[in-house]
This record gives sequence, C-alpha cells and structure tokens, in this order.
Amino acid sequence: MTATGRIINPRTAPDPVGEFFYRLAERGPEPLLANVSGTLRFDLLDGERVEHWYLTIKNGHVAVSHDDADADAVVRTAKALFEGMTAGRVNAMAAALRGTLVPRGNLTLVVSFQRLFPGPATSRAHAGPGSDEGSTR
Amino acid sequence: MTDGLVRVLEGNTFVVSDKRGDIEASATDPTGLFSFDTRFLSRWVLTVNGQRLNPLSVDDLHYFEARFFLVPGTGTVYVDAKLSVIRVRAVGDGFHEELTILNHEDKPVDLQVRIDASSDFADLFEVKDALEKKGTYRNRIERGRLVLGYQRETYQRATLISATSPAEIDDGGLTFPVRIEPHGQWRTELQVVTDMGALEAALPDTRGRPSMARGLQKWVGKAPQLESSLESLKATYQRSIVDLAALRFSPALAAGDSLPAAGLPWFMTMFGRDSIFTSLQALPFMPELAATTLRVLGAWQGSRVDDFRDEDPGRILHEMRYGEMTAFEDRPHSPYYGSADATPLYVVLMDEYERWTGDSKLVRDFEPQARAALNWIGEYADLQGNGYVSYKRRNEETGLENQCWKDSGDSISYHDGTLPGFPRATCELQGYAYDAKVRGARLARRFWHDPEFAGKLEKEAADLKRRFNRGFWVKNRGYFAIALDTDGRQVDSLTSNIGHLLWSGIVEKSKARSVVRHLMSAQLFSGWGVRTLAEGEGRYNPIGYHVGTVWPFDNSIIAWGLRKYGFKEEAARIADGILGAAQYFDGCLPEAFGGYPRQMTKYPVQYPTACSPQAWSTGAPLLLLRAVLGLEPVGDNLVVDPALPVSAGWLELLDIPGRWGRIDAFGRSRRRP
Repeated sequence: MTATGRIINPRTAPDPVGEFFYRLAERGPEPLLANVSGTLRFDLLDGERVEHWYLTIKNGHVAVSHDDADADAVVRTAKALFEGMTAGRVNAMAAALRGTLVPRGNLTLVVSFQRLFPGPATSRAHAGPGSDEGSTR
Repeated sequence: MTDGLVRVLEGNTFVVSDKRGDIEASATDPTGLFSFDTRFLSRWVLTVNGQRLNPLSVDDLHYFEARFFLVPGTGTVYVDAKLSVIRVRAVGDGFHEELTILNHEDKPVDLQVRIDASSDFADLFEVKDALEKKGTYRNRIERGRLVLGYQRETYQRATLISATSPAEIDDGGLTFPVRIEPHGQWRTELQVVTDMGALEAALPDTRGRPSMARGLQKWVGKAPQLESSLESLKATYQRSIVDLAALRFSPALAAGDSLPAAGLPWFMTMFGRDSIFTSLQALPFMPELAATTLRVLGAWQGSRVDDFRDEDPGRILHEMRYGEMTAFEDRPHSPYYGSADATPLYVVLMDEYERWTGDSKLVRDFEPQARAALNWIGEYADLQGNGYVSYKRRNEETGLENQCWKDSGDSISYHDGTLPGFPRATCELQGYAYDAKVRGARLARRFWHDPEFAGKLEKEAADLKRRFNRGFWVKNRGYFAIALDTDGRQVDSLTSNIGHLLWSGIVEKSKARSVVRHLMSAQLFSGWGVRTLAEGEGRYNPIGYHVGTVWPFDNSIIAWGLRKYGFKEEAARIADGILGAAQYFDGCLPEAFGGYPRQMTKYPVQYPTACSPQAWSTGAPLLLLRAVLGLEPVGDNLVVDPALPVSAGWLELLDIPGRWGRIDAFGRSRRRP
C-alpha cells in the first residue's frame, strides 16, 4: 500500500524536499529544462509512507502537484537520499548505479532534471570570474 | 587478432576469449564477458570428458559473432579427431552460444560435456589495477538456471545461465550427459544474460529488436559508396564503415539511436572528445552519429561546480562509466568532466552538423547547451585570467592531469624536455575556442536571432586570434608553441598540434606557410604522417605514446586544416601516407603507430599497446577522403574540389548525404609530368 503524501504549504513547511520543488515552480523559466517537456513523478520513500510528487515541465516552466497524473518518467528513491541530492551531498547518477535510485521511462527527462541539483557545498571553481558562484546556482 | 584473443561485441557488451572460446581470467587478465564496465563472466570453460579442446580455426563472422571449430585433446602435434565441436557465439544482452558436437565414428559415443562458469564481477578499472572486491558473492540454482550473483549494499549484479537441453546444474557450472549416435550430432544452446539489478528497470527493452546482421547490412547500405582504381582504398573504406558500426554505442537515453564510443573493447562508452571528433570525421558519411552525440552530450552537460567530477556549468563530459567503482565514487566517472576541449568542440560540431544537414531544429533546440558551452570558455576555462583556455584538475586523486587529447604525463614539454606546471594552456585549445566563437556567432545570427551575441562572439574571436598569434608564436623558429606555462612562458617544442590550429582557422594568413613548412619537414613528417612530437625535441621517441608516434586521427584533422588554408598538395601527401599505412593494418588503422622514418622501416610499426579499432582512427580515412575530394558545404550546395594523391588514380564517392539530398563526387589525380 502506498499513501499519497499530504499537500505541503511551501511557506510554512520545514521540508527541504518540498521547498526544493516549490522553489522550482516559483522561479521563472529554467534554461536547464528549456528543451525537455513531460511529467516526471518522484516516489519518495519515507518509512512506510511514499510521497508522490508530480512535476510537469514545459518550456522551462515547472508545475508541482500531488495529484495523480500520467507520468513520462518515474524516479523511486528514499526521501532522505533525495534530500541529500537537493543539498549537493548525493550524486544522482552514482545513486542510480548503486541501485538506490531507480529511474524508469523517459530518461532524458530524468537526466535533465538531475542537472538542477546543486554541487557539493565545498566545491569551488578555479580562479576566474566563475569562482565567485561557488557551488549553488 | 595478434594477441590470440577473440573478441565479439555489441555496444558496451563484449566477450574476450581465447581461440577455443574459453575464458579463464585472473584478476588482471582482460578476458571475460563484460557489460556496462563490469565483468559478468571470468570463467567459461568447455570440456568434453574432462578434456580441454583444441582450436582448429576461428571465424569472425561479424563483429558481434564468432565461430570456433574445435577438437578434443590438447598439446600434441597429432590430434585424433573422432569428434568435432563447434561453438557459435553471438553477443547481445550477454551472449548466446550454440554448441554442436559431431560424432565421426560409426559407433555411438557417451560423453560428459561440461561448462564451468563463474564471475568475479570486477569493475573494468579493477581489471586494470587488480583491486580487492568489497561485496559478497552468492551463486544459486533457480528455475533451471545457474545464477551467479554479487552484492554490495544495494548494488547488485548477476549473470543468468541457462541451456536448452537437460543439464545437471551445480554452482560452478552445467554438465550435460550426452549420447551421440554413429555419425550423429548433439546440439544445445546456452544463454548468458547480464542483470544490472535495480538499474534493469531503466534500460531499454531490447526484445524483438531486428537482427544484428540485418542492422549491419542496413548501416553499410546507407553509407555512400566508394569506387576507386585503388583496391586497397576501397577495402580500407569498407572496413571503416563496418568498424564504425561496431563502435556504435546506444546510451539508454538515446532511445535506440547511437553515437560513436571511443574504442574496442575497453572504451565502449561515451567520451566527449572521441565521440565529437569521430562524429566530425563521419559527418559526410553518417550524419546521424553527430545528431545523437549532440543530443546525449547536451543532456549530460555540466550544470554545477563539483570538484570530484571536475564539473562546471556548461562543461561537456569527458567520460561516462557504469561500474562498481563509479557507483561507490571511488572513481569520478558518473560522468567525469575533466576535458578542456570537448566543450568548445561541442559548438564546432553543432555548427558543422547544421552546415552539412540543414537540421536547424537541432540547432534551435540545443541553443541553451551551445550558449552554456560558449559561456564555459570565458567563465570557467580561463583559469589564469589571461583570456586563454587552460586546465588544471580539481580532483587531485582520481582526476585527469592532462585534459587535452595528448593526455599522457610527458606529452607537453619544452624543447629541452622539461615539463611545465599547471595550469597549462595548450595551443590547440585556443584554436578550438576561437573556432567555437566564430561558429557560435554564425549560429546566433542565423538561428537564435541574437545579432548582439553574435557580434560579441566575433569580437572575442578576433581578439583571441590577435593575441594568440603574438603570444604563442615562437619567433626564432617560426611556429606556434605547444602551450603557455603558468608564467605565460612559451612551452616551445615543435608538435603536431600546430596542424590543428590550421583546422581551427586561428592562424594568421602570413604565418600559415611557415607552419606548413614545419608540418611537412623531416622533423615532423615521417613519410607516413605527422609525428606527435618532432624529431630533435628533448623527449622525442618514435614509439613514445604522444612524443613521436603518428596518430591517424591527428593527421586527418591536420589534412583538413591544410585544405582550409589552400595547401591541397600537402593535404594529399598526408592522406597518401596514412591511407597507405592503413593497408598494412588490413584497413583498420590503430590509434597510433611508430614515428620511424618511412624509408627506414618500409612498413608502419604498430605502437605496442594501441587499442584497435579505435573510433577516431576508424574515422580518419573518412575525413581524409573528404580532404582529398575537397568536400565543403557552401549554402545549400556541396562544393567538390579534388586534389588527390598521385597514387590514388581516380575515385568516386556516390550518394553523399546532406542538405542537398544525395550527391556524387569525383576526383582524378594529376599524373606526374
């Protein structure tokens, strides 16, 4: 049995995963998603619970919802691990190779989406104009 | 197969065995069944009545299929062949092996046929370095199959072995009790399937796909046909087309399309640099390779700063790997981004692809990727703030020290043989960056409707060219330094890299003749091709990997560069040398061969450990054909301006695909007066 996670109010929730998703929805068109479209479902396992998140991507815009919909790709992983990805502690591709993150469906959508995760907080670009940016975009 | 090994492969799955078809790998021995950079079988040995078999012959039917003819008994001069054993092996999702035993006697025989099977599930990196495994092995018998299993935490890999005839299965193999009537035969089919654990869900379903033989036929049929008075040239061309088919790799996200992997068998994966160069070489022949390369590398383009992977926003990946060491981050290949040339070359390929095919949709769809790549050049690659692209790894443990194509430790040296520190700004990187800006400007103006950005790129390109022609020019010798060191001092050895500069167009017209003179001098030109490092330089060694050998890929780019500056005859001489060398390798050019002078050895001396076939060596004859025929897309037309080597006689390339539909090109060499 899976339970659909409750709708989280982005303003009050201390949930970093919800925050990550809602921030995506709030910000303008994301160039990293400019040339993909479709619905991506995340099944995030949290103990007995499974949270379903639907992200519909179109022209770089992201809409977030918990409502059931047809998904072009599904990513299943532990919520704690996903949280690590949103914080730059866990690399999604390495997690997939270890079998702790299971993608299926339209993989271009999944690969494009993982580009939104930040790099490790300790990573710094070399000297030059890029270095000021640090790891977060 | 000079090493006595037999290889069959499909994509990134391959089997390396001895001539009997047996696999007996040790920790460091590169035989086995490999898939996704993991060894799924390290032992696969056939015995009949406890006896090993003796090979009579091996047929490489196709790159994905081999047939072994065997008889019982080993080691003696005389083989009493009352039995014949035939193994036909075809790769695809593991492999399929058809085993047939013929009884030549006029009485029945009772045999015990046995296949020993086991796997060490070694990562390719472990096979090279002989490292210890951290997980546990568990073999089991399940639903009539032998399952070899390996697990480390959530990482699971398994090999599933089954047969069509009844077998006694134990955890070390399968035994068949066999009775064969007089002059009769016994046959079974063995199926070996690789299992990637949870990752299986992500992999494309390959059941019901068209047969590989048909796929190969279609591929060869689609390529332009070459007619020539030179039989060896036709053979080399055919070989290149078939080898390119073998080198195709379909990443899971390419939905069945393929791009060129780097080389067989150890480099059957995406490499930014190799996939881009090979796509460029093959553009006039198989433009679809370039499209897939652009799409897949674009999807994986770097987006964040990650020191372990040497990733930056906009950077194009260097290498992707799927094995256990990558999964557990002992290696950074998930993917690894430490290459300084793949990113500008990505833009170069995109522009060249559009010029050939007219596929403006791809150029518009991937505008964000092209822009991010162009941005990377200025924002992240200028490590010294001097306006030049340079490289220095941030992953000091497992990252790559040399992030240009000459990636060995001693490839970049001063005339006296000493090595510069890091960062290093090698000359060809500046050429690629220049070309990327010039081509990016064309794309911006024509397809992205951004004349302002185009103007900015053009100005940057002009500025880079001006500064480069001052900063890298070794005045007293009349060529470009291979690099600038950390003090901005010239790393002044004479190298083949100056030929790439012609290809990129960064060389001022007034300096071109001097560059060409050096390229064709006895110091650089061996008679077969241009050496990586000139004779007379401190580190020159005719069999040194990047310090004196001749690289066919390198030479194909140089020939293209010579054509760009109007040096047709010199381009033809290089084509003549490399295509001539190809004959000695049955049309399959190795990655590199010895830099000995041609008149000294008469034939090209193979570099000891060069991997073969290698994608950009396989692509070299194709680009050389383009260079001697002078094929250049101009507007909606293909311009043909042949300048053939004398030896070539005449040649005809029929049905060249492009924005013009299909076109034929014809060339005849001028006879010597």
